[in-house]
Amino acid sequence: MNVPLNINLQQILLHLFNFLLLFGGLYLLLYKPVKDFMDKRQSKIRQIIEESEKMHSEAEEKKAEYEAKIAEFDKYAAEKEKEVLKEADEKAEKKLSLARAEAEKIVEEARVSGRKEHDRIVESAGEDIASLAAEAAEKILSESMDSTYAAFLDAVSGGEISGKQG
Amino acid sequence: MEKKKKRRFLVIWLLLLAATLAGVILIKPPESEESVKFMMYDAVMHEYGKISLFGLMEVNPAVVSAFTVTGIILLFAAIVRIFVIPRFKDVPGKFQLLLEAWVGFFDGLAKTNSPHRNKFLGAYIFTAGSYICLSTLFELFGLQVVNTEGISMAMPAPLADINGAICLGALSYLVILGGGIIANGGRGAAGVLKDFSLPISMSFRLFGALLSGLLVTELVYYYITISFVLPVIVGVLFTGIHSLVQTYVLCMLTSVFYGEATEVHEKKKKDEKAAA
Repeated sequence: MNVPLNINLQQILLHLFNFLLLFGGLYLLLYKPVKDFMDKRQSKIRQIIEESEKMHSEAEEKKAEYEAKIAEFDKYAAEKEKEVLKEADEKAEKKLSLARAEAEKIVEEARVSGRKEHDRIVESAGEDIASLAAEAAEKILSESMDSTYAAFLDAVSGGEISGKQG
Repeated sequence: MEKKKKRRFLVIWLLLLAATLAGVILIKPPESEESVKFMMYDAVMHEYGKISLFGLMEVNPAVVSAFTVTGIILLFAAIVRIFVIPRFKDVPGKFQLLLEAWVGFFDGLAKTNSPHRNKFLGAYIFTAGSYICLSTLFELFGLQVVNTEGISMAMPAPLADINGAICLGALSYLVILGGGIIANGGRGAAGVLKDFSLPISMSFRLFGALLSGLLVTELVYYYITISFVLPVIVGVLFTGIHSLVQTYVLCMLTSVFYGEATEVHEKKKKDEKAAA
């Protein structure tokens, strides 16, 4: 039978044999090793991305945890501060009332002692005034007696003594 | 100095042009043993100019080209496997990038067009694509082979032979059919068999595209008067572009039909029917 275009089954099979040879060879020598390498690298990169995402989420969790802890600590610190301030206020108030009482006591004592001192001074001043008055009187008396006696003597001695004294 | 160089260049260039023109005019075209009609006929039919395959049988030159291309590709692959792949790095160099892009392109094409089953498809279109592209470019080297009549001839692209094109077209169809049967059983097979014209269209598209390039190139080479400069443009146009376009077309068609054949959609239909 004359096949159109000189199609030859034997030669088609030869081409097929050649192609299958090429297919097997190229698959084993080039396609598979290169594809395996690419797949391996891709999975490696994917693994790195997954790990980094996991680490990122872990870090986010830790961050949230720490933020919660910080908030809790802030709350605790605020409460503590309030407590301490209250306590300090109470202590201060207590000390202030004690100091006030002490001060009142001191003022009272001072007032009492002042009054005593006043009385004592007034008393001693009276005595002093009396003694001073006595002294002054005595002095006045002595002075008047001296001047009288001098006048007498002057009168007696004709002024010699007062002239010598002068 | 610059002017001197320019002048020297112009003189040499003009001399070369004059020499080639003189050659064209003076040299008589060889008395060809075969007419252009015969040559074109043989390029399509391959009835003459057979080559002995290891003394076992007489085959078309394209068969020898196919084995030569396979040998070259496998040698290259073996060298890469032994010396390059073990030294692959996570951050690739230029050559590694080229290899990864080569494999990644076909793998990506398979994954995009056939999301369900694509492992075998990726390997298949990688081989088919590499074979179509490199075997078509192989024609550009013009390696010589002696036919059974003792005449030296340039090795053609393997797929410019109808037998090579039928082999690849039919094989692609069988791959699609196999994928359909594995994924969807009888229904998958029926879906693929519905497109019975696919192997024919695939084979003849490949054959027609590559043969047209071959014929035009042969035509240009045949006449010595147009065998200056023009063959370079024609060769690059018909060989370079065809190699890339046909690679893309066959791989794309195979992966699209394979994806369609392996798509699983039975359960949905049942559910929809039950709901209705």
